[in-house]
Amino acid sequence: MVSKSNFELLLNQGSFVVCGEMSPPQGADKAPILKKCAYFKDYVDAVNLTDNQTAIVRMSSMMSSVFAMEGGVEPIMQMTCRDRNRLAMQSDLLGAAAAGIKNILCLTGDYMTFGNHPDAKGCFDLDSIQLIHTASELNKGRFLSGDEVKSPPGLFIGGAANPFAEPFEMRIIRLGKKIAAGAQFIQTQPVFDLLRFEKWMAAVRDNGYDQQAHILAGVMPVRSVKALINMRDNVPGSMIPDECIKRMDVVKESKEDSIEVGVAMAVEIIKRLREIPGVKGVHLMPVMWESITPRIVELCDLLPRPVPASGDDAL
Amino acid sequence: MSKLSEKIAAFGERHPTLYKSIALSENVLKKTVFKCQGCGQCVLSHNAFTCCMRCPKQIRNGPCGGTRPDGHCEVYPERLCIWWLIHKRAAKLGRVKKLSKFHIPADRRLENTSAWLNMFAGRILPFELGKKSRDVNLTKKDPPSIK
Repeated sequence: MVSKSNFELLLNQGSFVVCGEMSPPQGADKAPILKKCAYFKDYVDAVNLTDNQTAIVRMSSMMSSVFAMEGGVEPIMQMTCRDRNRLAMQSDLLGAAAAGIKNILCLTGDYMTFGNHPDAKGCFDLDSIQLIHTASELNKGRFLSGDEVKSPPGLFIGGAANPFAEPFEMRIIRLGKKIAAGAQFIQTQPVFDLLRFEKWMAAVRDNGYDQQAHILAGVMPVRSVKALINMRDNVPGSMIPDECIKRMDVVKESKEDSIEVGVAMAVEIIKRLREIPGVKGVHLMPVMWESITPRIVELCDLLPRPVPASGDDAL
Repeated sequence: MSKLSEKIAAFGERHPTLYKSIALSENVLKKTVFKCQGCGQCVLSHNAFTCCMRCPKQIRNGPCGGTRPDGHCEVYPERLCIWWLIHKRAAKLGRVKKLSKFHIPADRRLENTSAWLNMFAGRILPFELGKKSRDVNLTKKDPPSIK
């Protein structure tokens, strides 16, 4: 049997987990990854390595995950269905597991026209739920074709959920499908609108999904009102209340004040998320602002990070 | 499906002219009425009679996270998100429960083949008129030998 990841052990023992997120560099140098790892090491339990997010070409998430391990950080490898067919994805999953990557996050992926290669052909051979199903079949020792996997990878499989997109009912149905397909943890889109998130969590609890998978709420610290407005207007499926924008707008003249308000907002959101039943952790998404992670984690009294109780579960 | 329907499908697939005329009439109907994309493994009856392959990402298991608040697609803002439409129609027809069914990865070999005959041959999920989803175990079968 493959040993479980730190991240999985912490979730299983009921600790409130903190994840980070970093984007791989747009070049063939691993130094930026190692540099960012320093911001996350000892402050978060695992870090997502994005897979060509917003369809912009970057270093592969698999190799970046390997470098993140060099940097002392436990990776969650993201995998999108946009760039690979079912053969490539299964072989990548096997390779990732062999390299020591234990957590994966299965996504459908942003459409090509959002990125820097809008002329590309999208693959979309599988969708995210079918990818979760595929990974879970690999864990059970079967390829999609039904053939036997010689040594199953034993991955900890995750999926994403967006509580803020329409139609609301469909979001719950889709979450249920992801969990039924084999998702063991769920990361949500960044929460700004807590009322909507609470409504979503209530529906999740009514269906008992919080008992079947670990739900991690996304939190995105922002350092300028421009970033917030850009997100509201250009990222479909995000929901940003006017009061957040107003709060950031008041201090837009001063960079330092904007940062202070941005941090305070993230900390407030995390503190309120911790009180919602069924939320097992938070997923910090400091896009291009990884250096702020230690401060936020510290301000939320989430330090020191817990260590999984030794051994027993790993067998 | 039954032994009889399998025989009907096998008969159709043995006769290229018959096969082509069945495929053509299916195409004419489905392309005009449902904007069918010709995946050859029809799930119209599961998805409130709305073709999910019209989604730019061809997602067969529900909407991606990018549906806009007004129900429009993230990729083509001028179009409706097809899964938003499916959900709306399913709610109207009382078929929302059917949307929780997991659809296995599409068999790309069936593209542009007749879904009707594929259904008779037992290659794909049967048409479901009822509001509840049935559990069907499909055995892996070869695609039709003619196109």
